Amino acid sequence: MAGSFVFGEALALGLASGPACMASCGPVLVPSLLTERAGLRVNTRYIATFLGARFLGYLAFAAVAWELGALVSLPPAPRMLLFGVVHVSLAGVLLWYAYSAGHSCAHACAGSELVTIGATKKRGVAGPAALGFLTGLSLCPPFVAAGVRAAELGSVAAALLFFAVFFVGTSIWFVPFVGLGCVTRNEAVITVARMAMVLIALYYGYLGLTMLLGRKVYGY
Amino acid sequence: MATEARVLRAQEMAPRSISRSILLSLPIALWSVLMFAHFWQHDRAVQIADVTTAVFMIALFFMMMRTRSTYRWRRWFFVVLGLLFPVGFIHQVIAMRGTMGIPIEEMIAGRTPFCFLPIPLLILPAAFTKTVVFPGSILPGGGMSGGGMAAMAGIWLAMTIVVGKGWCSYACFFGGIEEGMASVPTRAKVRKIDPRWRYGPWAVLLAMVLLSLALFDSVYCMWLCPFKAVSEYVAARNTVGMIQNGIFVVLFAGLVIALPLLTKKRTQCAFFCPFGAFQSIFNKTSVFDVKIDRTRCSPCVLCKTACPTLSLTDESIVRGETLMSCMKCGACVDACPKDAAVWHIKGTEVAMKPERARLMFLYAAWAMAIMFGGGTIAEGVATILHVFV
Repeated sequence: MAGSFVFGEALALGLASGPACMASCGPVLVPSLLTERAGLRVNTRYIATFLGARFLGYLAFAAVAWELGALVSLPPAPRMLLFGVVHVSLAGVLLWYAYSAGHSCAHACAGSELVTIGATKKRGVAGPAALGFLTGLSLCPPFVAAGVRAAELGSVAAALLFFAVFFVGTSIWFVPFVGLGCVTRNEAVITVARMAMVLIALYYGYLGLTMLLGRKVYGY
Repeated sequence: MATEARVLRAQEMAPRSISRSILLSLPIALWSVLMFAHFWQHDRAVQIADVTTAVFMIALFFMMMRTRSTYRWRRWFFVVLGLLFPVGFIHQVIAMRGTMGIPIEEMIAGRTPFCFLPIPLLILPAAFTKTVVFPGSILPGGGMSGGGMAAMAGIWLAMTIVVGKGWCSYACFFGGIEEGMASVPTRAKVRKIDPRWRYGPWAVLLAMVLLSLALFDSVYCMWLCPFKAVSEYVAARNTVGMIQNGIFVVLFAGLVIALPLLTKKRTQCAFFCPFGAFQSIFNKTSVFDVKIDRTRCSPCVLCKTACPTLSLTDESIVRGETLMSCMKCGACVDACPKDAAVWHIKGTEVAMKPERARLMFLYAAWAMAIMFGGGTIAEGVATILHVFV
């Protein structure tokens, strides 16, 4: 009874925190998704891969933090290092994604004047998996909230299960992203998504580097 | 029949008589008097500035009527607006704060002057949290912002519905500097521009909307606004502040000064401005647009060359229309030797009384220009006059 109450709480926490998770993952998910082929099935598979990898990121972080006894309060130095590396890696993956999206488009487009790209090159799961895993490692406020509650549980297994249910609650908010599959993929959409990815990558890269260099972001 | 139509068209394109031009300018003159007659103002410099601005705006409109040309007269207004905005604004900021740099305390207190550029970037955070993440205030006593944010958003929305992206050519106080720069060289040194750069504003918009939602911060204002270089910058108290200001200066020097000089295009507007991309959507709500009359068009592509924002392509000319990014500046209409590029009211036949369509658009756009840009010009002139009067 107590167990189901705890997991009900995890689900409620996930549902309540979902918009924040969605906003937090949006800069990574939306442009990368727009460079994929159109179609609900393709986009569903992409989001499933992304979320699955994100889930692994959650669990990995929770398990390691539990073992280190630092689920709630990760010390500043390793936290800056971890998130610095995560942000720089995210920037790297986004840049690679932007590059590879252009490459696959170049193969598929018959000419620059072609408006609809019907058959962009099929891409593997490595991209969404890498992006999902890295976003899963970030210590966003909902994750901290779940961490606080999970830390009160008796075992690492219970904590991981708590995170799993919490993850299900947040993931429901990602379902609308599947709708991006209905957006026609043409040269304009793919170019906009690629350019946006580069800008976002530059920002994440900057954030990561400042963290790695141990500088305060605003210094105030 | 065709000859008759040609004669009618020729009559329509000939310069207007002075008396008729005056008559057509009267509504604008009346509007100018309403906007600039500040009888309660006893400051002589302000009075002179108001009169000068009113005369300037009426004279330009009169010339538009007389010559039937839009772009070259509008450009005078726009460049003057672009140059005088920083004069009045910087003076005001320095009078209020003693510096162009905004310290974080001022931002937290919501005393940042509101600007329309981040409006599209703040919509999602506002929808999710009912919070405007721009560090300004709509509350009375919120410093310089006061009710400015609400007023600016309201005026912008009303005008935008009518003129669409015409806002970017008749109201925006940022575009004038680059338009001025673009008009300096007689010929463009860089003529071949990859058309995919046209998607730049949409990419910046997408990235900024997503990052603003993720970080609950006005990311564009903090990191990418080129016009911080001539308005207000982040008080550089540390390395990050220096980097931010460095980015502002580099973007301004590149997009607003150097590239317009090299390309004769409004490069910041055409390739970067996220507000412009957002504004493009409202070209769908506006009843006014620019069309290419295919029956008159010989494919000289002078209109395409003249367009400062690459809003005409070979394909769009074939389709007889401009792209969604058209700012309705009138450059293509003025450049067309065959009068094939015409002002148009949606729902009417193309080239059916284009001058009437132009007049109707110009009344709306120029009224907006006087209200929004005219006030800014008058403020800039008054600031300069305060030095002498």
